[in-house]
Amino acid sequence: MRISGRAKTGEFQFACGEGERILYAGLHQGVPLPYECASGTCGTCRARLASGKIKELWPDAPGRKHVKPEREEFLMCQATAVDDCEILVPAKIPLDEVQQPRYNLPGELIGFNPCTHDVATFSVRLSEPIQFHAGQFVVIHVPAVGGYRAYSMTNYAQTTNRLDFVIKKMPGGGFSEWLFEADREGTRVNVFGPLGAATLSAEDGGDFLCIAGGSGIAGMMSILSFAEQQDVLTQRNAQVFFGVRTLNDRFFLDELSRFARKFPDRVRITVALSDEEVTSAYAESEGLYYESGFVHEVAGRHIPENSEHLITFIAGPPPMVDGAIRMLLVKHRIPATRIRYDKFS
Amino acid sequence: MTWKKVCSTDTVEKNTLKLFDVEGVPILVGNLGDGEFRAYPPVCPHMEEPLEESGICEEGILTCTKHLWQFDMRNGEPMGPAERPLLIYDAKAEDGHVWVYVERELEYEFDDDDDDDFEF
Repeated sequence: MRISGRAKTGEFQFACGEGERILYAGLHQGVPLPYECASGTCGTCRARLASGKIKELWPDAPGRKHVKPEREEFLMCQATAVDDCEILVPAKIPLDEVQQPRYNLPGELIGFNPCTHDVATFSVRLSEPIQFHAGQFVVIHVPAVGGYRAYSMTNYAQTTNRLDFVIKKMPGGGFSEWLFEADREGTRVNVFGPLGAATLSAEDGGDFLCIAGGSGIAGMMSILSFAEQQDVLTQRNAQVFFGVRTLNDRFFLDELSRFARKFPDRVRITVALSDEEVTSAYAESEGLYYESGFVHEVAGRHIPENSEHLITFIAGPPPMVDGAIRMLLVKHRIPATRIRYDKFS
Repeated sequence: MTWKKVCSTDTVEKNTLKLFDVEGVPILVGNLGDGEFRAYPPVCPHMEEPLEESGICEEGILTCTKHLWQFDMRNGEPMGPAERPLLIYDAKAEDGHVWVYVERELEYEFDDDDDDDFEF
C-alpha cells in the first residue's frame, strides 16, 4: 500500500506492507513522522485520513483520547493501511534531515534474571546487529501477548545484536506478567526501533544530570555506559538520582557502584528512598549516597546554583517526571531545551 | 457576548493560571505577575492538555509540561519547540477585576494554523 502524506513542512510518500503499522513503516523508510511512545499511549502520532482505508489495531488504545474519530483522526502507531491512503499529519517534521536507520527485526528473548520481587532484567538477541543512541528505546512484540511494548535499552555499544532491558512486573501488564510467570528463554519476538529523543551524544557540552524513578533508570544506565566508552566522564560531571521505595527495591547496585568507584571525582550517584528512612547517608562499600524523599525532591536539593548549562534526563512514573520538570524549570531555571525525556503517557 | 467580569484580580496568584466558566465558555486566566492578565482557551494547542494542570508560568513564559511547548504569555506566540501559538482573548484588569472579551469560544482545530493552508 502506498501512503501519501502531507505535514506542515511538506509532502512525503512511503510504502506500508500488509499488517505493518503506518508509523513504523514511515520511520523505517526515513520519514520523520511525529511520535513519542510509539505504543498507543501518548497520542503524539495522531493523523487524519483524507482518503483510502485503514485498519485500527487497538481501538481502546489510551492515546485515542487525543483523536477525534468522527473527523477520521487515528493513531499511526496503532493503524495499518488496507488500501492506498492519503493522510494529514498536523506537525512540523524535518523532512529534509537524514534520519537514523530504524530496524524491524526478529529476535529471541534471553537471560531473564529477577533483581527484586517485582523487577527483572532480560535481553533480546536480534537476528542482526543494529546501532542506537544511548537513552533510546525499542518496541517489542511477542505474538502470544499482542501489541508492541516500549522498553529502553540499559546497555550501549556502537553496534550490537544484543539489547538489554529492565522490566517491572505490573498487575495487569500483559507482557510483564507473561514474562514473569514462566521460562520464556528463546521465545521469538519482533523488535522495531531504535526510537526516542532523550539521548546523550559526544558533542553535547556541559555536565549532565539523570533523575530516574524505578525502571526509568534503564536509559540512564545506557547513557552512563556510553559516557564511559566515549571518554565523556573524564571531562564532564554526572549526577544520577535513582528513586525507589525501599532498600529492598534497589537494583543495578553493582553496576552503579562500578561507575561511582571508577569515576569518584566525576560521578555522584544518590539513591532516593521514598518510603524508608535512610540511616546512613553514604554506603562506603558501594560508593553510593542515600537520601530519603521523592527522587525529584532529593535531586532538587543537590543541583548547584547557575546550572543552566546542565543537560538533564528524566525517566520514570508520570507524576515523578512532571515533578522533576517543574523543579528544573521553576526552581533552577534550566532551559526547556536542556531537559530531555520521552513522554510515555 | 462582550466584556465579561471573570474574577477579582487577587483570585489568580502571580505566575499562575486559573480556569473559569464564563457562561459556558471555559476561560483560562493567567497572571503575568506585573499587574497584567491574559485569557486563553483552557488547553495546549499541541495535544489539548489541560493547561490549568500542566501549565507552568514563569517570567511571562507559559510552559506546558507535557512536551515542553512554551509560549509568550503576553501575545500567545510560540517559543522553542512549540509549533502553534496560543489562542488569546482580549483581557484587562480594571476595578480590581479581570475582564475578558468573549465573542465566541476559541477552539483549536486539527488543521488550523497561522502560516500555511493545510487542506488538500
